Amino acid sequence: MKRKRYALIVLGATLSLSLVVTAVLNQALAHKAKHTPEQLQAFQDVLMEQVRLGDLLFHGDGATAQQMGVNLSRTGMACAMCHPFASDTHPHEFPKFQEQMNAFATLRDMINWCIEKPNEGEIIGTDSEAMKALEAYIYWSNQGSKLDTGRH
Amino acid sequence: MNGSQGTYRNTDSEERPDRSLGITRRTFLHKSFLAGAAGAATFGWFPLINTIDLAFGAESFKFAWLSDTHLYPKDVNTRFVEKTERAVKEIQAMQPAADFLIFGGDLAQLGDPVELDLGNEILKQVTINKVFIPGEHDWYLDMGAKWEQLFGKPPWSFDHKGVRFIGLDTVSRAPDYWSIKKMSPKERMGHMATLDGSVAGPWAGVGHDQLAWLNSALADLAQDAPVIVFSHNPLYEYYPPWNFWVRDWREVHEILQPFSNVTNIHGHTHQVLYNEIGNLRSIGMLATSWPWPYAPEGVPILTTPHIRADPGDHFDGVGWAQLDVTAAGRVEHEYMMWRKDILAEAPWDSGTGDNANQVLRPRIADRQWPY
Repeated sequence: MKRKRYALIVLGATLSLSLVVTAVLNQALAHKAKHTPEQLQAFQDVLMEQVRLGDLLFHGDGATAQQMGVNLSRTGMACAMCHPFASDTHPHEFPKFQEQMNAFATLRDMINWCIEKPNEGEIIGTDSEAMKALEAYIYWSNQGSKLDTGRH
Repeated sequence: MNGSQGTYRNTDSEERPDRSLGITRRTFLHKSFLAGAAGAATFGWFPLINTIDLAFGAESFKFAWLSDTHLYPKDVNTRFVEKTERAVKEIQAMQPAADFLIFGGDLAQLGDPVELDLGNEILKQVTINKVFIPGEHDWYLDMGAKWEQLFGKPPWSFDHKGVRFIGLDTVSRAPDYWSIKKMSPKERMGHMATLDGSVAGPWAGVGHDQLAWLNSALADLAQDAPVIVFSHNPLYEYYPPWNFWVRDWREVHEILQPFSNVTNIHGHTHQVLYNEIGNLRSIGMLATSWPWPYAPEGVPILTTPHIRADPGDHFDGVGWAQLDVTAAGRVEHEYMMWRKDILAEAPWDSGTGDNANQVLRPRIADRQWPY
């Protein structure tokens, strides 16, 4: 029994090591070889998983918020209640002077402003997983919008 | 100066009425009689009063519209309660008093009996006559049971001072998206309460039975008599993905087409809206809860857009409305928005004008089947 458990540990460690080595090699080889359709699909899958998570957070899904350790609203309001289809989020206009903050702001700053002020929730880390997911959803929803940095 | 600013200034100097008219909170109808729809679509208009009202001989009177309060239980959110109470106090204080209040739906946020009871208690402070039509947020937890217990069963009609009023139910006839998925009432309500959700689909509609009722409710009416139709959703196709329409709007128009003076007053869109199709004029009302952005397409060219709201001010971009019915049987509406300016005079202050470069696509996380 002990021998079997030991074998499993060794096998697990070997697999983990090989994954780390592969990841490091992939990083080192980035753009050094032509991409396969499978690789491109894998990249897209990474994006769409973030979009999906962001969509759920944006629409007030409690389970996703709990899973990601965030509390985006204490009022029952969700982002999508004022921004259906992520409209009027204007990711293509940032960074810009944002009147409500009286400051030059990024989209991430604005996301946190909305969480803190209208939603009365708890602001999230600007590099947190939840922020990346929200940003992914907002950008994806506004795909095709024309860059218009600084527009009021 | 950019091109749009130039356009605005030209419009200002050539077409805008004199500012000394001092109309700041009142929006009159009849813009289709102005010199072309293209002009009416430019920014900087204060809508004008037209002088082609038809003589009808009815008595002039006022009524009030309140809708889209979206109340949560008080322990979740008191913000919407405060705004509803403010509107109710102002309606009760109208001088002269309104003849009646129409509540245009979405009293509750999630159809919870606690929310509907709370709304009912607040509305009791208005002592004039009240009539009610439901919104989708009031209906899909218990399929309208609590609503009908409190406010009666739609549709209805009544005559008042020469005007035939119709109250439609545009929310209860959604295609059944819940049974096959074995959804709980809360799940069903949750999908219905998500404006940009994909699951509830094209739920807004009048339905064959109610179309037949509408036809019969107008059968005895002279074709030049004024008709005012209340509905939660607009009775034309503005933006179906958010149910800013009823799916059978063409059939509704067919029934209303013989009548020369029909006004539809609707909620749901939470924004300043105005449209005319044939003899049917449509006026969109504000919410007291929050303003929706204009849809990415389909905003009627006759709409002078709502000014952009400040999301940091809960009382901005929202309100209720006073409506006057003139002796000629025409409707004039006054948005009682709780800020000085209501209509945008320049694209950069407008809820539509600031979206020139925005391209949107629907959400994905709730997709269960294609529509």
